[in-house]
Amino acid sequence: MKERLEKLQHDALAALRDAADEKALQDARVRFLGKKGELTEVMKGMRDLAPEDRPVVGGLVNTVKEQFEALFTERHEILHQQAINQRLEQERVDVTLPGRKGFAGHKHPVTLVTEEIVALFSRLGFVVEEGPEIEQDFYNFEALNIPKDHPARDMQDTFYISDDLVLRTHTSPVQIRTMLRHQPPVRVIAPGTVYRRDSDLTHSPMFHQIEGFLVDKNITFGDLKGILTHFLKEYFGEDLGVRFRPSFFPFTEPSAEVDIACVICSGKGCRVCKGTGWLEILGSGMIDPEVFRAVDYDSTAYSGFAFGMGLERIAMLKYGVNDLRLFFENDLRFLRQF
Amino acid sequence: MIVTYNWLKEFVDFDMDPQQLADRLTMAGLEVDGMVEIGAGLDSVIVARLNRVEPHPDADRLTVCQVDNGTEVVQVVCGATNHKTGDLIALAQPGTILPGDFKIKKSKIRGQVSMGMLCSEKELGFSEESAGIMILPQDLEPGVPLFDALKLKDVQIEIGLTPNRPDCLSVVGVAREVAAMCGKPLRLPEVTIIEGGSPVEDQASVTIKDDDLCPRYAARMIRDVKIGPSPSWMVSRLESVGMRSINNVVDVTNYVMMELGHPLHAFDYRLLENGEIIVKRASAGETFVTLDGQEHELDNADLMICDGNRSVAMAGVMGGQNSEVQDDTSTILLESAYFKPTSIRRTSKRHGLHTESSHRFERGADIDMVPVALDRAAALIAELSGGQVATGVIDNYPRTLDPQIVELRTERIGQLLGLELEQQHVVELFESIALGVDVQGDGLLRVEVPSFRPDLERDVDLIEEVARLYGYDNVPVTLPQGAMDAEKSPLKQQLETLARNELVAAGFAEVINYSFVAPQSCSHLNLSDGDPRLQQVRILNPLNEEQSVMRTSLVPSLLETVSRNLAYRSHDLRLFELRPVFYPVAGETGGRQELRLAAVLCGRQQPEGWAQSAADVDFFDLKGTAEQLLEALKIDQVDFNAEMSEPYLHPGKSCAVMKDGIQLGTMGEVHPQVLATFDIDEPVFLLDFSLPELVAAAGSHPGFQPLSRYPDVSRDSALLIDENVPAKAIMDIVAKTKVKNIEDTVLFDIYQGAGIPAGKKSLAIRVRYRSTEKTLTEEEVSKAHGKLIKTLCQQLEAEIR
Repeated sequence: MKERLEKLQHDALAALRDAADEKALQDARVRFLGKKGELTEVMKGMRDLAPEDRPVVGGLVNTVKEQFEALFTERHEILHQQAINQRLEQERVDVTLPGRKGFAGHKHPVTLVTEEIVALFSRLGFVVEEGPEIEQDFYNFEALNIPKDHPARDMQDTFYISDDLVLRTHTSPVQIRTMLRHQPPVRVIAPGTVYRRDSDLTHSPMFHQIEGFLVDKNITFGDLKGILTHFLKEYFGEDLGVRFRPSFFPFTEPSAEVDIACVICSGKGCRVCKGTGWLEILGSGMIDPEVFRAVDYDSTAYSGFAFGMGLERIAMLKYGVNDLRLFFENDLRFLRQF
Repeated sequence: MIVTYNWLKEFVDFDMDPQQLADRLTMAGLEVDGMVEIGAGLDSVIVARLNRVEPHPDADRLTVCQVDNGTEVVQVVCGATNHKTGDLIALAQPGTILPGDFKIKKSKIRGQVSMGMLCSEKELGFSEESAGIMILPQDLEPGVPLFDALKLKDVQIEIGLTPNRPDCLSVVGVAREVAAMCGKPLRLPEVTIIEGGSPVEDQASVTIKDDDLCPRYAARMIRDVKIGPSPSWMVSRLESVGMRSINNVVDVTNYVMMELGHPLHAFDYRLLENGEIIVKRASAGETFVTLDGQEHELDNADLMICDGNRSVAMAGVMGGQNSEVQDDTSTILLESAYFKPTSIRRTSKRHGLHTESSHRFERGADIDMVPVALDRAAALIAELSGGQVATGVIDNYPRTLDPQIVELRTERIGQLLGLELEQQHVVELFESIALGVDVQGDGLLRVEVPSFRPDLERDVDLIEEVARLYGYDNVPVTLPQGAMDAEKSPLKQQLETLARNELVAAGFAEVINYSFVAPQSCSHLNLSDGDPRLQQVRILNPLNEEQSVMRTSLVPSLLETVSRNLAYRSHDLRLFELRPVFYPVAGETGGRQELRLAAVLCGRQQPEGWAQSAADVDFFDLKGTAEQLLEALKIDQVDFNAEMSEPYLHPGKSCAVMKDGIQLGTMGEVHPQVLATFDIDEPVFLLDFSLPELVAAAGSHPGFQPLSRYPDVSRDSALLIDENVPAKAIMDIVAKTKVKNIEDTVLFDIYQGAGIPAGKKSLAIRVRYRSTEKTLTEEEVSKAHGKLIKTLCQQLEAEIR
C-alpha cells in the first residue's frame, strides 16, 4: 500500500509538472482527484484497511493530496499567466490604422470670426442687436447724416429696391434702430450682412460687417482708442502695433481709420499691405451730433463712439485667405479648413 | 487726387523725403494710396548728340548714326526720319528697360552694330503717340540722364481723399496741409496780368438768372491767341499728375485746376452769340451735346451756361461741343464760377458725367478762389498762346457768402477727446491751417473759417481739426467709465447658435450663399402658381440678371452648392445654411425677412474608411438629424406628416414637421427630376425649417428626474400587424398606456418577407420596466407587459408572433 501510494505520489506530481497548459493541468486533477480519480479511489479504499493501518495510510494520503494541491495551485498560476501572456502576445492591432469616426462639421469662417468678436465684446458689456437687410433710406442714410445728393453717398454703391428702400450698405442703421428704442447708456455690437454694388477680385456684392457703438455720459475719443486697442490686441496679439489716423465718415466726428501692423509681414512691408507695413482694419469715430439729433439724444449730455469692420477681411487676415470669392463659393475643400 | 513731390515744393519748403511726406500725409488724414517714381529705372536713358547720320548701306528706311554719349562715340541704327546731324536726342543704352517691359540690347541690324535705341516720346511714356524720335533742346549736356536733364525726376503721390476735403483737390491745398504739419509758410503762385485793348464789358456780358445755383460767375477775355501745342514744361507737368496735354489753352485751364483746385472753362468767343453768357436752368426736354460727343436730354434741374440763343455748357460739369476751343480760335472767353454742390451732383449723376470739374464742384469749390484762378489762368494763357488779356474783369457775385464763424468752447475739446490742451496751443493749431481765431475769454473761441474749408461748420468739426493737427496717436488711451448692464443675449440668438452648433456636431459644414439669385431660381422646384416663394423682391439696379432678386428659399442655392461640390469631386456632402429669405410686402418696410435653416446630405453614412460602413444615407439619416436638432431645441410631441410635404420632394419619402398644427419645416428626399435640373445624379436629402417657428416651439429644460436605484427588466415582443399601420401608432399607444413602470421602449426590428403573411409586417419592440420604489418581480413585469401587449393587439388588430 505504501509503495502504491509512493508511486501514485510520484505519478501525480509528475503529471502536474508535465502539464503544458491549463487544460492538461485540469485533466491531471481529474485523473487523480476527480470522482473516479486514482487518489480518490485510494481514499475510498481506506475503509477496507485494517483499523490500525488507517492512520498511517490516511496520513500518507493527506500528504500526497496536500502536495498535489499545492503544486496544482503553483502550476496553475504559472500556466494561467503563460496563457494570458500568450493571448496578449497574439492579439495585436495596427495602431496606425485610422479610427472609426463620424463626419466633422465646420462653421463658416465668417461665423467663426463673428462669434469670436461678439464673445470678446460681450465680456466688455456689449449686447448683440440686429436689423433688417432690406433697409429704409432713412435708417441707412438720412439718419446717419448722409442726405440725398451728398457726395458721401458715392462712398458706397447701393443696391436699390425702390426709391426709399435699399439693401443696407453697412450695419450702421442698427445704431439708429437701437438708439430710437433705447435711451443711453447703450453698448451694442451688431454683426450682419451688408451689400454694395461692387464686384471684383477684392469686392464682393454681399459681405459681412460688425458694428459696435457705445453711448454714455463723458465718453471720449480716448475711450474709443482704449476699447479698440484692447479689442485688436486681444484678437490679433498683445504686441500688435495699432494706429489711429484721421478719416471721414458722415456719421462720426472726429472720424478715425484704425490700422494694425501688417500681420503677414509684421510691419516690414509686403504685397498684402502694399509695402506700407500697415493694414486698414476698421473705421470708427465719435458719433456725430447730427446722428444724435436724428434719434433725439441730447448731444450736450451724452457722447459716444461707433466702429465698424469687415468680417471677411478679418477672416482673411486671421487665416491668411488670399481670395475673397472663396467665402461665397462654398467649396467644401475651403470650408473644411475651418 | 494726384500731386507730385516737386510740385508741392514750389509752394512750401519742407525737409522730408517722399516716403516721410507720404507717411505724414496719411497720418494727417490725407491717405496716400500709392507712390510712383517718375523716371525710375531710366537713368540709362541719356542725352546724346548725333555726330553723323548716314543712310544704312543695306536698308532704305534705316539710318546709321554716330552718337556722342558724353564719353565716347557709339553707333546706333535708327528707323526714324526726323533726325539730323547735330541734334540732341534721347539714347536708351543697352540694358535699359523701357515702359512696357521693352528691353534694349546691343544688336546687329542688317549687318550694322547698334548700341542702343534713339527714343520717341511714346517709347519713354511721355505721350500716347509720337511722329518720330524725341529731339531735345540744344542747351542740354550729352551724357546726363534724360530725366535729370529735363528736370522730370519726380514722385507722383496718389492721395485717396475723403469727400469732406475738397480743399485738398489741388496741389496748393495739399501744400497748405504740408505747411501746417511742418510749420512752414505757404507760398501762393504770383500772378501778374498785363491787360490791354478794349474793356471786356464792351464785348461780353454775364447774366445770372438762377443765382440760387450759381452765386458767382466771373469771366475774362483773352484776344489774339494762337492755339498750338503747350511747351514741354506744361506737358510734363500735366503728365506728372496723369493728365494728357491737349492745347495751350485747355492745358492752362487743367493746370490751374490742378494747381489751385478751381475748375475753369474756356469758350471760343466767336461761337457765343452776342458775346452773352446767361446762367439759367435748362428747359425740360431740351437736348445738349457735350464735348465728348454725347447727347443729353435736359430737365429743369440742370443748370446750363447759355449764350444769347442756346446752351453752351453744362454748368460745372462739361462744356458743349458747340463752343469749344478750336485750332483757329483767336478770342477766348474764360469762365471762373462757383456752382451749388447739390445741383452739380444731381446733374452729373443723372447724365452719368463724372468729370474733374463736377468732382470738385459737388464737393464744394472755394468761392473766394473764383477771381484768383481766373487771373492765374488768363495770365498763363496769354503767356503760352501769345494773346492779350482784355482790360477789366467781369465778376458777377450777386449773393455774397459771409465768412463762416464757428464758436467753440475749449472745454468741449477735453470732453470729447479726453485731451487737455492749453488754449494758446489750440489757437496755434487753428492758425496753422489759416483759420482766424478770436479769443472771447472764458474759454470761448470765435473761429472764422476760410471759404476753402466748407467742411468746418460746427464745434465738433473744429474739435476734429484739433485732434488731427495734434495727432490722433497722441491722444491718450483711456477706458470708458460707467456701468455695464450686460444683458443676456436674446433667446432667438441663443437658439440660432444652438442649432448651428448641433448641426456642426452632427458633421455638417456651414455655407453662405448670396442673398440675391436669378428670378427663375425657384422655377425648378415644381411650386404651384400661388406659392409665396414665387413672389420675389426685385433689385432695381442688379449687377446682373443672375443676381437680381432676393431669394425666397434656401433650397435652390443649396442644391447648386451640392452640384458644384460634386463636380469638384467632393462626396458625402453634409451642408447647412442658416440665412434669411425675403418676401415682398407692400409699404415702407418693403419686405419680410425670415430666417431659415436648411440642410442637405448625400453620399455615405460614414466617412470612407476600412472600418466604416459603406452604406449610403437615406431618409432616416435625415430624420435622425432633424430629431437631434428638435431635441436640442427641446421641441417634443412633433408630428411627421407624410400628407403634407413639398412639391420638390419625393412624394413617398418626405413629410412636414408639425407641432400643434403649425408647420416647423419640411424634409425628405429631393425629387429625382428636380435633382436632374441641378445636374445631380445621386439621391440628396434635404430639410428646410423656419427658424422663427422653431424658436416659438422651443421648450425649456423639463427639470431633473430622480434616478431609480432598482434593477430593470426587459421584455421583447414581436407584433404582426397590417403593413400600413405606421410605427407611430405603436409608440403612441405605449406613450398613453396606463401600464406602470415603463422606463423606455425601443422599436428594434421591422421585418417583412418569408414567414410573414402578405400585407403584414412584424414589428419588434423591447420594453424596459423599472420602478423607482422597489425591485420588480418577474411576475409583476410579466403581468404588466401582458397587459401592454394585449392593448396593442386589440387596438392595432395585431397578433403576437
